[in-house]
Amino acid sequence: MSSLLTTEICIVGAGPAGLRAAIAARDMGACVMLVDSEENLGGQLVKQTHKFFGSRGQFAGMRGIDIAKLLSDEVTKDSSVTVMSDSQVVGFYPDGTLAIEKDDCLKLLKPQRVICATGASERMLPFPNNDLPGVYGAGAAQTLMNLYGVRPGNRVLMIGAGNIGLIVSYQLIQAGIDVAAIVEAMPYVGGYDVHARKIQRAGIPILTSHTIKAVHGRQVVEGATVSAVDAQFCIIPDSDRYFQVDTVCLAVGLTPLTELLWQADCKMGYIPELGGYTPFRNENYETTRPGVFVAGDLAGIEEASSAMIEGEIAGLCAAKSLGYEIDDFEDRINRAKTELRVLRQGPTGEKIRQGIASLMQLREECEGA
Amino acid sequence: MPSRVPGGLPKNADAVIIGGGVIGTSIAYHLAKKDFGRIILLEKSYLASGSTGRCGAGVRQQWGTKLNCLLAIDSIKAFQRMDEELDYKRGIEFKQGGYLLLAYTQREMDQFIENVRLQKELGVPVSFLTPSEAKQIVPILNTDEMYCATFCPTDGHANPFYVTDAYAAAGERLGVEIHTFTKACEILTESEKVKGVKTNRGTVFTDVVINAAGPYSAVVSKMVDLDIPFYPERHQALVTEAVEPVLGPMVMSFSRRFYCQQTPHGSFIMGMGDPKEKPGFCISSTWQFLIETAEAVTKALPPVGELSVVRQWAGSYDMTPDAHPILGSTPCEGFYLACGFSGHGFMLAPVTGKLISEIICDEELSIDIHGLDLGRFERGELVIEPSVV
Ligand SMILES: Cc1cc2nc3c(=O)[nH]c(=O)nc-3n(C[C@H](O)[C@H](O)[C@H](O)COP(=O)(O)OP(=O)(O)OC[C@H]3O[C@@H](n4cnc5c(N)ncnc54)[C@H](O)[C@@H]3O)c2cc1C
Ligand SMILES: Cc1cc2nc3c(=O)[nH]c(=O)nc-3n(C[C@H](O)[C@H](O)[C@H](O)COP(=O)(O)OP(=O)(O)OC[C@H]3O[C@@H](n4cnc5c(N)ncnc54)[C@H](O)[C@@H]3O)c2cc1C
Repeated sequence: MSSLLTTEICIVGAGPAGLRAAIAARDMGACVMLVDSEENLGGQLVKQTHKFFGSRGQFAGMRGIDIAKLLSDEVTKDSSVTVMSDSQVVGFYPDGTLAIEKDDCLKLLKPQRVICATGASERMLPFPNNDLPGVYGAGAAQTLMNLYGVRPGNRVLMIGAGNIGLIVSYQLIQAGIDVAAIVEAMPYVGGYDVHARKIQRAGIPILTSHTIKAVHGRQVVEGATVSAVDAQFCIIPDSDRYFQVDTVCLAVGLTPLTELLWQADCKMGYIPELGGYTPFRNENYETTRPGVFVAGDLAGIEEASSAMIEGEIAGLCAAKSLGYEIDDFEDRINRAKTELRVLRQGPTGEKIRQGIASLMQLREECEGA
Repeated sequence: MPSRVPGGLPKNADAVIIGGGVIGTSIAYHLAKKDFGRIILLEKSYLASGSTGRCGAGVRQQWGTKLNCLLAIDSIKAFQRMDEELDYKRGIEFKQGGYLLLAYTQREMDQFIENVRLQKELGVPVSFLTPSEAKQIVPILNTDEMYCATFCPTDGHANPFYVTDAYAAAGERLGVEIHTFTKACEILTESEKVKGVKTNRGTVFTDVVINAAGPYSAVVSKMVDLDIPFYPERHQALVTEAVEPVLGPMVMSFSRRFYCQQTPHGSFIMGMGDPKEKPGFCISSTWQFLIETAEAVTKALPPVGELSVVRQWAGSYDMTPDAHPILGSTPCEGFYLACGFSGHGFMLAPVTGKLISEIICDEELSIDIHGLDLGRFERGELVIEPSVV
């Protein structure tokens, strides 16, 4: 049997949220173990070759991969943070023990605090043949291209014109892959103008008020049928269009990767604006299970900049709850909270603001009940 | 499985069954077959959400008491013809790969000798095996420290979700009304006679209520002020990735407390009893179970150690002091018990449905189960089953 490992703070997930949480908790003096299922630290960032939007304080204008490098260099600069990569946390037991799978072996870790920063998973759409090889999440296609240098296909139909759909489409074109069209069920493009304009300049049609009806093929994707939808998102008869493609990418949203939190019995609420089931948490990003904190996309789908700031808050507060102190604790917390508020200002932040408000309200209702 | 969306509850019924596990649905079907009238089944969550959907789903005739043997023999026959009888197109995945029971102590071997004598008398095609004979049946078996084994080729396992669904669907075709997400909250009585059931979605008046609430049977009995010697106890299980078929029978040891089978799908399902487990409703998983089970099972079946575990879960055993079910009427007129299966209620579901419907319809019983009534505990006439995990 494997022996029981211990640490003060275990951070699950080394994306921007987890990396920043590790740095913050380490700065406070806590003993930190950072666990990620991938080999490379950085989460989604390791495949983001484009320049990031977000706030200046959070490296806006830098490419995602470079941000990942910067943060992971900081985490690994000395041995104060123990990094366990290629290690997936597969269980969170009632006694607080984490089960970790590494090299086909089970390791057990009993930390005093846990910060979950597992990010998000891509949503799927139900349509005939959605399980044929050649149907990908857009993020998966991006991983193949940018991380492993593998072409996902030769001619792609992209479903979803949010930022991810637009960015991945553009990166596919850059990789020399044909993008037949981008299909979007809403009557408008959801992603930022900068990205939409690049797509339009490349001559790729964006079909708004359209959806994917079916994928065709025997062993692999050979084509797809796309139909127009009305204001109620019902398919309009006789509006089918056939596209000859070998790859269909779904960029239809992300949902928080909450499995571990369910196991930990953290209470959650269904908040569509935040991507689905989202953990209840207080302003220190501590969940309803004392000692378990969250940060990043897991705490509500947003972006890398906010993920990093949430990581900072969770890391500082988790360490503080263990009794660690630093002089500029209040300064750092207040700065982080102000930055979050600024990030979420304006029309682009409206959905997030609404989502967080609903989450807090639902939490109060549940606690009252 | 069809979702069985809750519709409106009727005002009156001839019988209300509390519990939508394999036992409740089997009773519903058997009662409907006897034209009992308007039959309502209440399930507080979805069908098979309780112990049934969490069980190992093994079916064996190798028991240590005559009653358990007789009940199991009858059920095996029912499982064999179930697809046809219930017109279940998908099939219940009944696989008769046998049960291989392993003895690791002298005492266990003595018990096995006695069990085999009893089982043979009752017509169970069981044989007593040396360790090397056992290895011929299960080539991946490690026979170190083994004393002997017994094997019955007609034992096996089935898919618990499909069996429940098959009973539910066949019952519905005969008019049974299944109300999921409907919880029995109170049982109305008048001078120790059942009058109705109050649920979270309305009240149904009835003279007959059957308690098939699995782990919650004591809670439901309490609704008519009846204390039954029953307690729920957590049991855990796990499943591995699927591989080519290499294990025909279910392999089981009572002294080492484990069982392990390979499903038709190719995955291995295994579980283990924990003597330290305390009575209670908790059904969360533990990491200790993962390690202990992996150790016990891979010691007996070493190649299984190469497989990855894909999932673990837990459910409740429905325990009585003598590991036999409590079946039949109670001091409260119209209130019937079908509970306390002590970890083998899945395999007894077909015969239980049949017998309970016979009791309620006041017919002659096809198997004499008078010894399994509630009164046995007061009379001190327990029928102890020695062979359980
Ligand atoms: C195509 C695309 C473009 C984007 N562009 C921008 C942009 O321009 N600007 C911006 O701010 N944001 C952008 N984002 C969003 C940004 O990448 C995410 O919001 C951010 O990465 C979320 O960070 P995170 O740390 O919460 O999660 P992630 O980055 O997803 O990291 C989660 C980590 O947790 C690990 N993990 C998960 N489960 C386990 C487990 N059980 N055990 C161990 N490890 C686990 C994962 O391997 C992963 O490394 C973009 C996203 C995509 C997909
Ligand atoms: C890990 C494990 C392995 C097992 N292995 C085997 C095996 O190999 N072979 C075997 O034969 N048996 C096995 N069993 C035992 C078997 O699962 C049970 O004996 C059997 O499922 C009992 O069926 P049931 O219908 O009585 O109970 P359940 O399936 O628990 O059904 C009872 C139902 O009643 C509902 N209910 C409770 N209270 C109310 C209420 N107030 N109102 C409405 N509904 C209510 C519950 O939601 C539940 O769905 C195993 C059990 C476990 C946990």
